Parts: sequence; structure tokens; C-alpha cells
Amino acid sequence: MRTDASVHAVPIPEGLLEPALTVGRVTPGSLDDQVLAFPETKPPKQWYLALAVTLTALGIGVACIGYTFTTGIGAWGNSSPVFWAFDIINFVFWVGIGHAGTLISAILFLFRKRWRNAIARFAEAMTIFAVMCAVIFPLIHVGRPWLAYWLFPYPNERALWTNFRSPLLWDVFAVNTYFSVSLMFWYLGLIPDIASMRDRTTSKLRKTIYTVLALGWRGAASHWQHYEKAYLLLAGLATGLVLSVHSVVSFDFATSVVPGWHMTIFPPYFVAGAIFAGFSMVVIVLVVVRETMQLKNLITMRHLDVMNKVILAMSCIMAYSYMMEGFTAWYSMNEYLHHGFMNIITGTYGWAGWVTISCNIFIPQLLWFKKCRSSYFWMILVAIGVTIGMWFERFVIIVISLHQDYLPSAWRIYKPTMIDFGILLGTFGLFFTLVLIFARVLPVIATTEVKAILPDAQPSHGGSHE
Amino acid sequence: MSKKSYAVLGLFDTPDALMHAIPKLRAAKLGTVEAYTPYPIHGIDDALGLRRSPLGGMVLVMGVLGALTAFGFQYWISAIDYPIITGGKSAASWEAFVPIMFEVTVLFATFTAGLGMLLLLNRLPFFGHPVLSSKAMKGITRDRYALALEAESEAFDSAAAAQALEAAGAADIEVLPAPDRSPFLTSDYILRTLGSIFVACLVAGLGIYSLIKWFPLLAPMKYMQDQPRLNAQKASTFFKDGHGMQPPVPGTVARGYLPTATGTQEGSATLVNPLPRTKDVFAQGRKVYINRCEVCHGALANGAGSLTAAYGAKPANLQAQQFRDYPDGKIYWAIVNGKNAMPAHAAYLTEPQRWAVVHYVRALQRAQNATDEDLKVVAP
Repeated sequence: MRTDASVHAVPIPEGLLEPALTVGRVTPGSLDDQVLAFPETKPPKQWYLALAVTLTALGIGVACIGYTFTTGIGAWGNSSPVFWAFDIINFVFWVGIGHAGTLISAILFLFRKRWRNAIARFAEAMTIFAVMCAVIFPLIHVGRPWLAYWLFPYPNERALWTNFRSPLLWDVFAVNTYFSVSLMFWYLGLIPDIASMRDRTTSKLRKTIYTVLALGWRGAASHWQHYEKAYLLLAGLATGLVLSVHSVVSFDFATSVVPGWHMTIFPPYFVAGAIFAGFSMVVIVLVVVRETMQLKNLITMRHLDVMNKVILAMSCIMAYSYMMEGFTAWYSMNEYLHHGFMNIITGTYGWAGWVTISCNIFIPQLLWFKKCRSSYFWMILVAIGVTIGMWFERFVIIVISLHQDYLPSAWRIYKPTMIDFGILLGTFGLFFTLVLIFARVLPVIATTEVKAILPDAQPSHGGSHE
Repeated sequence: MSKKSYAVLGLFDTPDALMHAIPKLRAAKLGTVEAYTPYPIHGIDDALGLRRSPLGGMVLVMGVLGALTAFGFQYWISAIDYPIITGGKSAASWEAFVPIMFEVTVLFATFTAGLGMLLLLNRLPFFGHPVLSSKAMKGITRDRYALALEAESEAFDSAAAAQALEAAGAADIEVLPAPDRSPFLTSDYILRTLGSIFVACLVAGLGIYSLIKWFPLLAPMKYMQDQPRLNAQKASTFFKDGHGMQPPVPGTVARGYLPTATGTQEGSATLVNPLPRTKDVFAQGRKVYINRCEVCHGALANGAGSLTAAYGAKPANLQAQQFRDYPDGKIYWAIVNGKNAMPAHAAYLTEPQRWAVVHYVRALQRAQNATDEDLKVVAP
């Protein structure tokens, strides 16, 4: 804690001053009335309509998974040599979407980016929902998901242990840890907000539920002290974790010898791609939320502007990664790598390669213009483009690499079935169903965190400034 | 309700007012000063004289413990209890354990930070705290800042405390009664808690048992186990002859066992032995001869094998002039196709093995009919 008065003695030039984090006058009380009132009001018709759509999608997914269970994995398009297809593509895709939430809640917290406070809650919730969607795929991919507990090393009557040298087992640990830590982080953040809801609700049922969930939180200074410390520690731990999770996912590929997978750039490339896709999803959801829930004064255009800048930066990292893939193929002087790379741009699935490159590299370049960063039309266009592009990137990595590897006699064209598409649709249904329910049940903005950064929220003398 | 009071609580409207009041109340020494705020206030720990949170040290210790646990667990499994060689690495090579060590470190540390903060340091969940049922609570979690003077002993003077709070600028002063007694740890409560834990465990155990035992055998789930296959000691319904394993089509030859002499024996006379006459080739030929030929043709290739006596068979005496005059190709043809009672050996011997035997038979013939010239060849 530094109380060096001279730091504040020099006036900060106008241009370097941080712009206001909210629009208009926001007080702690008005913030509660605005954000915490949602769960107490009846949802509008549009909400039910949206829920009907997402539940339909979810129903289709459940039916397709049910069909898979009763007929077997043959219901999918997977076939030698493409044993990994939609299941793993979707797994990597959804885990990636989750990374934005942890980045916003943990890494930006460590960097003291105060604008994160208003969007952290929603992004964290999206992390949890995305990981829930992701976990479905390895489970159904194993064929008999009721035996999925075999993935864990536990003493059993077969006297067998799991192989700790397999990146697939690392994945089990990484994804489970990621989910547990994200849930813990999210819940800790929610406790003071739930306490606020507990103390303002008039409904007896709600009061009971919130009382239990808030664990008797009473806002004591001695509690806040430990709470802030725990939050800081969790942010530090989650930062390391978020970088490790997608690195471990990339090891599934990078530690194999398949041409197009066996590359050292994979871990950073996967992490950047995950943040890229996740931020785009957050932008899409935030635009809808701020418009439909009247949160324009809290989720400002500045938030979206900054988010779009992050997307642009990630797009540039992706461009570098794609170029490095080409460079590695060329510089290795390895004919298999040459063939693999040429497959991406000129092969049977060359169209998918170009969808990836266009959506991830070319379209996001629009965000160099302030006009595009502050226009719903352009930012949504870019965000949807990136979402599609990042899905296709995983398609390119997995299907193109597998369908033609070392043994030409085994080459085969992969075709997904309707069941594959149905399950993918189902996870989108699950994700948005959970998002919709979350938006109506829990505070969508971390009111406690936003209160702490409002003007006049902190004493004007003594103490340190974050 | 007891007349004893637990604390006196007063509300402030701004964090500044709260911070100003703290030193005054601490100086009055009427009780423990505690603040209740809607969000963390910077610098309040120092103002209240709170000790640094020990959470960092707890997390560090548990994190290191997590790393050691993960390492020990993986090492014991991979190197001691169930060693399997993967990728040619030593079973004890630790590098592959690092990712899981990292994950378990984070897991231990996270749970220590989260649960340690809630359960150990903050003593939550706790629903019986007097402040929770105060009128001020609505404001505390919304936009007001409370200071409380909490009783340290029986001698707590609530009237003086209320006066001190008012002097420090607090409004809506409230005296909080002490709860009658702890609602916890009555014998009835303990019995009910233990009983419900037992019932919960029982239900969970039965649920998991049935999930593992019955669920895979339910109608749609077992479909994947119902595969068309031939069970042991059962007739096949797929093939007419009832055999599951069908003999190969006549004339089928395995890879590497191609008969290159399919014509007549005379026609094969011109085949040339492709193998060099080296020590290895003779050794190979000898091995094959002992395994496949000796039992009939005899160790000296003189047609006096052990079978001759037992069954009265009359295998060819390869030392006879007729066979010594054979070209290599004709012996090879006999090995591949068989002759008279001798079966074809094409299916048993690979191409190089057949030719190696031919060399060895030649060596046996020469050994039995050695000349002085042969001795000279060996001498140097």
C-alpha cells in the first residue's frame, strides 16, 4: 500500500485521463435499482420467444445425442482415417469461447483495467456455459459415456491406471480444473451481489434462496479484506490456468506426429485463437444485452470499442500464426508438411481454409476504423465472421490434417451427417438457453465491483488508489 | 430476548464520513470497531487496524502441496505400480508429469483461496449474525456505510457507544440484541444433521451403484454391446458350413511365400539360386533343414531319417547320383510343390528360406563326397 502524495501532485494531461466508466449519473443505489431489479420483474415476450428458439435447438441436440447413444458413433460422419471430426472440433471451439471470460475477469483484473468490472460477470458466466457445452463432446465421443469415469485415475478391479504421458489425460485434468476454478471465481464474485438481492427482495421464496446462496454475507470490513485477497489470488491462479488450458488442448494435436499438427507454435496459437473467438462471442452477447436490458449507461460504447481493439490485436496474432504454419511447412523441406499446407489452400477442403483465413484475418481488419468499432452493424458482422472462422479453423486443423496423412491408400474424404450438425446446433441451444436464464435470474453486472469504481466511491484521502 | 446487547450500529452516507469517524471511535475504546460496507473501501484495513490477511501464505503452502501430491501420485502410478513404456521414455521420466502437476497446483490453491477465505477466515456460512437481522442491513448491501461498536465483554455500555457513534456523525443508530444462544450444536440439531448426511450418502451410493450396474444394461444403452459376432463353441449362422473362420480360396498364398516355380520340375531346371553362399545363408539353411527336412531325409541327407524306421516311408536319398546331378532349380521345385509322398512346403518357407535349404543340401552332398581338392580349399 503506497501513500506517496507526490504521485498525485503532477496533474495528468487531459488526453491521458481515463474516460468515465459509465454514462450519466450512476450511484450505488441507482445501480442496484437498475441491475438487481431484473430478476424481480416478469420477462418480456421477446425473452420467451428467444427461449423457445434456443430450447428448440437444445431439443434437437438432445434428440441427436439420444440417437447416437442408441445406434452408436456410426451415426456420425467419422470414419477412417478421420476419427476426430465434429466432436473434437466442437470441443476445441467451445473451450476456446470460454477463454474470453477468464481473460476479462482475471488477466484484465491483474492489469487493473477498471472497465472490465462492468462486463466481467457476463463474460465469466459465458465461460462456465461454454465449458459445459465443451465437456459434452469428449463424453459422447468416448462412445459409452456412462463409462466416462474411466477417464479418471482411480483404483479399480482391473488393476489398470491411466497413462500420465498422454495429452488426452492432461486434457481431462485441465478442463476439469478450468471448470472448477471458473465456477469458484464466478460464485465468489456473486456472493456480495446475491446478498444485495437478498436484502432488497420482498418475495419470501426469493429471500430464502438468496439467503442460502449468499452464505450470510454481511459486508464486514474484516471479511472484505480476506475477500479481496482471495479474489486477487484467484485472478492470479486463473491467469496461469487460462493460458495452460488451451495449451494443453493444443498438446492433443502438437504431441502427435500427424503432419499439420506436429508444430511448436500450437500452444500460443491456440490460446490467441481462443481469446479471439471468445471476445467475439462476448461482443455479440453484450450488444444484445445492452440493447434489450437497457444497460447502455453501464456497458458503454467504450467497452465495445476496447473489446474490438482486442479482437483486432488477436486477429493480427492469428495472421502471424497462419503465416508461421506456411513458413514451417516450407522451411522444414518436408514433403508431408508441404502437402498438408497446400491442402489447406488448394485441396478438396481448400474452401474451408479460405473461409478460415478470410473470416479470421481479412474481415477483422475492418476494426482498424473507429467507425467500424463503434457501429453495431460492422462489429456484429466481424464478430459473427470470427465465430464462423474460428469454427472452420478447427475444422481445417482436424479434418484436413487427418484426411490425408502419411499413407495415401488410407486417404478418404470426410462428410459430416445431419446428426453431427444437430449436436452442434444443440450445444448452441444449450449455451444460449443458459445465457437467457442467467440474464433473468442473477445480476448480469457485478454491481459490487462497479460500485467500487464509481466516482466518489472511495475516500478522497489516505489509502492507495487502484 | 435477552436484554444484553451485542453491538451498536450507526450509518453513514459517504465513505469519507465513515473513514473520518473510525479513528474517533477507536480512540473511545468502547468496544471493537467494525465497518459494514457495500463494497471494499480502500485503506479501511489500516484505519481499523486489521492484520494482514494470511490467505497468501495458506495458498502458497497448499499450492506446493498440490504440486507434490500430483508428482507423487503420477510417479507412483507410472514408475512403480503400473510402469508402461511410452514413446521409449523411462517409466520414471518426470517431464510428462508437469502439465498435471500444474493443474493440481492451481486446483489446490484455488480451493484454498476460495474455501479458506469463506470457511476458515470469514466463518461463513453463518446465518445467525445479529447484523444480518438489523434494519441497517438493507442499506449496507446497497449504498450506505455502517460502523458498529461490538461488545468485547459483559461490561459493554450500549448507551455510551450510541452516544459516541452519534458524536462521530452516524445516523439511524440501532442497538443490536445479542442472540439468546447459539442455534447450533444442540443434541437435536447434531442428530438431525448426522441423520440427513447418512440418508444423503445412502441415496447417493444407491444412485451411483444403480447408474454403474444397471444403466449400461438398459435397452438402448446395451445396443452397442450387441454386436454380430461368433461366440465360442457356437455355430455360425452367417456361413453355410457353420464355421466362423473360412479357409482361404484355393491357391491363396501369404505375402513373401509366393511359389516362383509353378510349372513342371523340368521347366524349373533353369532357375538360379539367388542367394550368395555365405556363412549366414548356410546357417539359415541348416536351421530350416533340421526343422523341416531332417526327419525324413536324415541328418546326412541320405534318406535315413527317424521316420523311415517308424513308418516304413521311403524318402529320397539325396546323396544318390540322380539327385547330385539335379540342378538347383529342380530341388527348389520339389520343396515348393512337393513330390510323391513329400508335401508342398511353399506355405511354410519363405523364398529366401527355400533357397537357403538348397544351398545346405548341396553342402551336405559335397561333404559326403569330398575330394582332396576340397581339403585344399579349406586349408588357408
